[in-house]
Amino acid sequence: MGAYRHFPIFMITLPLLGAVLLPILGYYRRRYVPYAASLPLLASGVLGILLMNRMPVEGYLSYQMGSWPPPIGIEISIDFLALFVMLVICGISLLALVFSWRYISKEVTGGRIIAYYSLFLLLSGSMLGFVATGDIFNLFVFMEILAISSYALVAITGNRNAVRAAFKYLLMGAPSSIMVLLAIGFLYSVTGSLNMADLATLISQSGFTQVLIVSYILLVIGFGVKAALFPLHLWLPDAHSIAPSPISAMLSGLVVEVGAFAILRITFSVFTVGAQNIIGGTVDAVSVAAAAAVLFGGIMAIYQKDLKMMIAYSTISHIGYIFLGITAFTKEGLTGAVYHMLDHGLAKACLFLCAGAFIYVKGYRRIDQLKGAWQQMPFTCAAFALAAWSVIGLPPSAGFISKWYLIVGNIEAGRELYVVILLVGAVLAAVYCFRVIYYMFFQPPEEGAWESGGPEAPVSMLVPVWVLSLGTLLFGVFSYLFIQSLLDAAAFLL
Amino acid sequence: MSFSNLFHNYHYIGAMILFCIGLYTVIMRRNIIKKIIGLNIMETSVFFFLISIGFLEGGLAPIHVEGVEASQMVNPLPQALILTGIVVAVSVTALALSMVILLYRQYGTLDVDNLMREEAEEEEETPQEKEGMGE
Repeated sequence: MGAYRHFPIFMITLPLLGAVLLPILGYYRRRYVPYAASLPLLASGVLGILLMNRMPVEGYLSYQMGSWPPPIGIEISIDFLALFVMLVICGISLLALVFSWRYISKEVTGGRIIAYYSLFLLLSGSMLGFVATGDIFNLFVFMEILAISSYALVAITGNRNAVRAAFKYLLMGAPSSIMVLLAIGFLYSVTGSLNMADLATLISQSGFTQVLIVSYILLVIGFGVKAALFPLHLWLPDAHSIAPSPISAMLSGLVVEVGAFAILRITFSVFTVGAQNIIGGTVDAVSVAAAAAVLFGGIMAIYQKDLKMMIAYSTISHIGYIFLGITAFTKEGLTGAVYHMLDHGLAKACLFLCAGAFIYVKGYRRIDQLKGAWQQMPFTCAAFALAAWSVIGLPPSAGFISKWYLIVGNIEAGRELYVVILLVGAVLAAVYCFRVIYYMFFQPPEEGAWESGGPEAPVSMLVPVWVLSLGTLLFGVFSYLFIQSLLDAAAFLL
Repeated sequence: MSFSNLFHNYHYIGAMILFCIGLYTVIMRRNIIKKIIGLNIMETSVFFFLISIGFLEGGLAPIHVEGVEASQMVNPLPQALILTGIVVAVSVTALALSMVILLYRQYGTLDVDNLMREEAEEEEETPQEKEGMGE
C-alpha cells in the first residue's frame, strides 16, 4: 500500500486549503493571487491522474479519516465513476480559472478579486468532496459549501441584476438543502447509520418502507434543485446568464452535473437497484421530468435573444439527457450519463467562455450582434462551432458517443418513447446551435459592429477555450480508452 | 399504524408542522426578510426533529464511565450533526441578509413582486443597456 491511498483526501483538501490561504497571500502580494489560485487545482488534477492508473475498475477505494473504521468514522470512498468525474472537475475548473486571469478584472474590481479566487477554489474543492464522500452527512456539508460559494459567486459583481439572480438562486437552493437534511434525518432514524455502504445493507433489511420512500423523494427534490432538473430549474437561466462568464462555465459545466451525480450516487450506492419498491415510483417520475426537460429546455433555447441565456436553457435540456441515462437502469445508460457529464461539461464551459470572450472584446451579449463575428474573432468563433458540434451530438465529437450510449441504454431498458425524445432533443439542439453558427460565419456584419483585423481575445482566454473545444473532439475520437472501464464500473453498480 | 403510536411520536408531528409553516412562509410571503425568517423556521424544525430522534427520557450524558451502559445514554451523534447544521444555517442566513441589504440599496424595495416587475420592465425597455460590461 503506497502513498496513493492518501491521494483522494489531498485532492479535496488542497483546493479548500488554498481557499483559506489565498486571502493571506492577497493581503501581501495581490498580483500573485490569480496565478497562485491555479496551483492547488493543478496539484489535485495531477494526483487524480496518478490515482487513475492504480484505480480498480470495480469496487471502491476507501479512505478512512483519522483511521476510524467506516460505520463510526467518516469515510471517503471513490469508485471509478467518481474519480472520472473528479478529474473532469479539476480540469474544467483549472481552465475556467485560467480564463478568469484576464476576464475577471473587467467585471470585478479591488479586493473582490481576491474574494473571487478564494470562492472559486472553495467551489472546486467542495465539488470534489461532494463527489468523493462516502458519508451521507458529509455529502450535505459539502453541498452547503458548494451552494454558499456559488450564491456568492453569482452575486460577486454586486450590481442589481446579479444580486437579484443570486437571491433567487438562494431562495430555491436553501430550502432544497434543508430537505436533504430532513431526508438524512429520516434515514438516520430508521437505520441508525450515516455511512453510504452501511446504509445500503441496512436499507435492504429495513421494514420502514414508507419512511424510506419519503426520504428518497426528499433527496431527489433536494439534489434536483442543485441539478436544475425540470421543473426545479427556475433559478438557472438568470443565475447562469448573469454570473461572470467563467462562473457560468463552472455552474453550467460542473455544479448542475455534480447534483445529478449525487442523485446517481444516492440511487445506486445508498438505496441500490434492489430496492425497486422504494425508489421505483420516484424514478419513473424523474424520467418523465427529464423528458420534459429535454423538450422544454430545447424549445426555450430557440426563442432566446441573449447568447448566455440560450446556453443556459440548453443546459436544462442536457440535464434531462443525463437523467434519462441514469433512470434507464442499464450499464449503457449509466455510462452514457457519466460520459455526458464529461462532454457536456467541456462543451458548455467552452460555449460560456466563448460568450465571455465576445463580452470581453466587444461587450456584445445578444445573438443578432454576432453577425459576421468570424471576421474579427475567427479563433473564438471556430472554437464555439466545435463545441456546438458536440452539444448537438454529431460524430465524431464526444457528444455523439455519450448520446449513442444513452440511446442504446434506453433501448435496452425498453423505453422507446425516451429514445424518440433524445433524438428530438438533438434536433432542437441543432436548431439553436446552427442559428448562432449561421449568424457568426455566413452573415455580413452590421456597420461598425465587427472589423476584420480588429482585436481577437487575448491568448490566456483563447487557450482554455481551445483546450475545451479540442477536448470535446478528442474525447470523442479516443473514447474507446475510457468507455470499457466505465461500462465495467457501471455494471458493478447495477 | 395505530393512533396511540401517532400520539407517542407527537414531537415528530410538531416538527413537521413547523416545517410546513416555514415552507409556506418561504413560498407565499412577498417580503424577502419574511422569506428568510421562513427559511430559519424550516431549519429549526429539522434540527428539532433530529435532536428528538436521539433523545432518551432520563438519559445520561454520553461520557463513558464504569457501570453505565451505552443504552442509558442520550445519542450524541444527532447533536453533533445539528451543531454543524446550525453553523451552515447561520452562514446561509448571513449571506441572504447581506444580499437583502444590497437589493434594498439598489431597488429600494423588499417586495418580491416589485423586484419581479422591475426585472420584466428592464427586459422590455433597453436591451442596449445590457450591452455594457457593467451588466
